[in-house]
Amino acid sequence: MQRAVLVDHLLKDFEVTQKEPGLAGSVKSLFSPKKKQVHALRGISFSVMPGELVGFIGPNGAGKTTTLKILSGLLYPTSGLSQVLGYEPWERKPDYLKKIALVMGQKNQLWWDLPAIETFELNRAIYEIPKKQYKETLDELASLLEVEKLLKTQVRRLSLGQRMRLEFIAALLHKPEILFLDEPTIGLDILGQEKVRDFVYDYNRKYGATILLTSHNMDDLINLSRRVIVITEGRIIFDGALDELVSRFAKRKTITVYLNKEIDLKEMESIGKVRKVQFPQVVLSVPRTTAAVAAAEILQNFPVGDLTIEEESIEEIIGKVFKGETVSKSKTR
Amino acid sequence: MRKYLSVFRISFAQEFAYKINFILWRVRNVLQIFLVFYLWDTVFQDPERVVFGYDRAKILTYVFAILVVKALVLSARAVDVPGEISRGEVSNYLLKPIGYFKYWLTRDLSSKALNLSFAVFEFLLLYILLRPPIFVQTNPILIVAFIISILLALLIFFTLLFTTGLVPFWVPEGAWGLQFMVIFVATEFLAGGLFPLDILPESIQRVLFYTPFPYLIFFPIQVYLGKLSSPEILRGMVVALFWATFLYLLMRNLWQRGLRVYQSQGR
Repeated sequence: MQRAVLVDHLLKDFEVTQKEPGLAGSVKSLFSPKKKQVHALRGISFSVMPGELVGFIGPNGAGKTTTLKILSGLLYPTSGLSQVLGYEPWERKPDYLKKIALVMGQKNQLWWDLPAIETFELNRAIYEIPKKQYKETLDELASLLEVEKLLKTQVRRLSLGQRMRLEFIAALLHKPEILFLDEPTIGLDILGQEKVRDFVYDYNRKYGATILLTSHNMDDLINLSRRVIVITEGRIIFDGALDELVSRFAKRKTITVYLNKEIDLKEMESIGKVRKVQFPQVVLSVPRTTAAVAAAEILQNFPVGDLTIEEESIEEIIGKVFKGETVSKSKTR
Repeated sequence: MRKYLSVFRISFAQEFAYKINFILWRVRNVLQIFLVFYLWDTVFQDPERVVFGYDRAKILTYVFAILVVKALVLSARAVDVPGEISRGEVSNYLLKPIGYFKYWLTRDLSSKALNLSFAVFEFLLLYILLRPPIFVQTNPILIVAFIISILLALLIFFTLLFTTGLVPFWVPEGAWGLQFMVIFVATEFLAGGLFPLDILPESIQRVLFYTPFPYLIFFPIQVYLGKLSSPEILRGMVVALFWATFLYLLMRNLWQRGLRVYQSQGR
C-alpha cells in the first residue's frame, strides 16, 4: 500500500537570536546580535500508512511540533525528504492543501469578531467545497461536537472549549485525508478533552483519515493511539506500539506490601526506593531485573500480610519520557 | 474568483464589527480637510489671485480631491500583515489553498470600497457646508488618464505597504516602525496628502518625482486638474509603472525568501 507519510533523514535548523536580560542586554544585542543555531530535528525517519493514528510524544522542545509544521508545509526543511500523499509539503500545491488540515491547540483561525459560521462560509469558498457537501459536513460535525447552538455567536464570546470545537469544524469542513493535531486538548477541562478525544477517534474510524497527533496529555495517547513515536532532542528514540513502549522503557517494578506490624522503614530502604508509606501499606520501587529477589527478601525479613508486584503504569512511563528521563544517558545539557 | 468574493464579504463584515473605530477614523479625515481647507481659503481670499499656478478653485478642488483620493489609495487592511508575520498567524493562510497577496489585495479593496462610499458622502456634506468653487474636469482623455494614474497609485501603495510589511520575517520586533514611516510620514508629506507638492522648491521636487511617493496622491490629482502636459503625464505614468513593477517583484522575492526563514512562531 502507498504510504500516507514518508519522512527520511529530515533535518531542521533554526537560527535564534539570543538576548541577555535587561536594558543593557537589549542595547548589546542591538549592536552585536548573538545568533545561535538550534537543531530542532537531527535527521528523523518514519512512515505512516493511510488510516493510521500516530501519537508523537516527547518533552517540550523535542521537535514534535516542528515535524508537524514541516509536514503541513509551514516550514522549509533544512535537508532530508518529507513526502505526504506523494506531495512535497513545502511546495504548498493547492491540491495538497485541500487534502490536509493542521489544528493547533494554541492557535486559532476563527475570525474573532464574527460568528464562527462566517469563517466556515469563507473556508467553503477557499476550499471550493460544493454547497450541498458543505451543508452535510457542517451539520454532521456540529452535531458530533455538540455546537449547533453556537454557530451564530460571536467567537470572542465563546469559552475556550467551545471555541476549540468550532476550530475543529473550520479545519475539517473540506474533509482532509490527513489531519495534523498539535496539542488538541491543551487548556480544556476534562469534559472538553473527552469530547475532543471521542471526536478524533470517531473521525479516524469513520473517514479512515490518517491522523498525526502531538500531546502532553497522557489520556490522549492512551485512549487514541496504538502507535507512538517518541522524540527527544530532535531524534526519534522509539517508534512502535504503545504496549511495546511500556515493556521497553519500564525499568522498574512496583512492589506493594501490606505489613502486619509497624517496622523500621530504614531497613526497607536498603531493598528498594520507598515511594509511599500509608501504614499498613508500603509501596516500593525496585529495578525490574531484581524484582523477584527483592520480593523474596521482603517476605523473609518482614512481617508481611500481603505482597504484589506490578509493572509501572503507562502514565508513569510516559511521564518519564516527557521528562526525558528514559533516554540515552549520554545526554548533553 | 469566488474565493476572493467571499474574502471581500467577510472583510466588509469585519470592518462593521469595529463601527466606532471606523467612524472616528473618518471623522479624523474630515477634520483634517476642514483645517487644510480654511488654511488655503484664507491664502486665496482674492478669487483672482494665483499662487504656485493655483487659483482659488483649483486649490480648493485639490483639498477636496485629497479626501477622495486618500480614501481610494491609502485605505488598506494590509497594515495587519507585519503583525501576522511576527505573531506567526500567517500559518493560517499558508495552510489554505489561497494566494496571500490576492487575499490582502481583496481585503484592501473591500476597505477601499467602504472608505470610498463614506468619502463620497462626506464630500457632499462638506460641499454643502463650505460651498467651495469646484473645478470639474470635462476632458475625457484626462479623466481616463486620471483613472489610470489612480490604478497605478493603488498598485504602488499596495506593494509598498506589503514590502515593508515583510520585514518581521527577519526582525520580528520591527513589525511596526517601517510601516509607520511609509504610511504616515512618507504618504502624508511626500505624496501630497497635506499640500500640493509644487509649492516645494524645484530641486526638491525634481528628486521627489523619482521616488514612488508623489504618484500616490499628488500626481493623480494633478492629472485631474489638467495641470500637466501630455508628455508630463506620460512620463509620470512610466515612472509610476516602473515603481509598481519594481516593488511587485521585490515583494514577491522577499516573500519567497521570507517563507524560507519563517519559523511559524508562537509554537
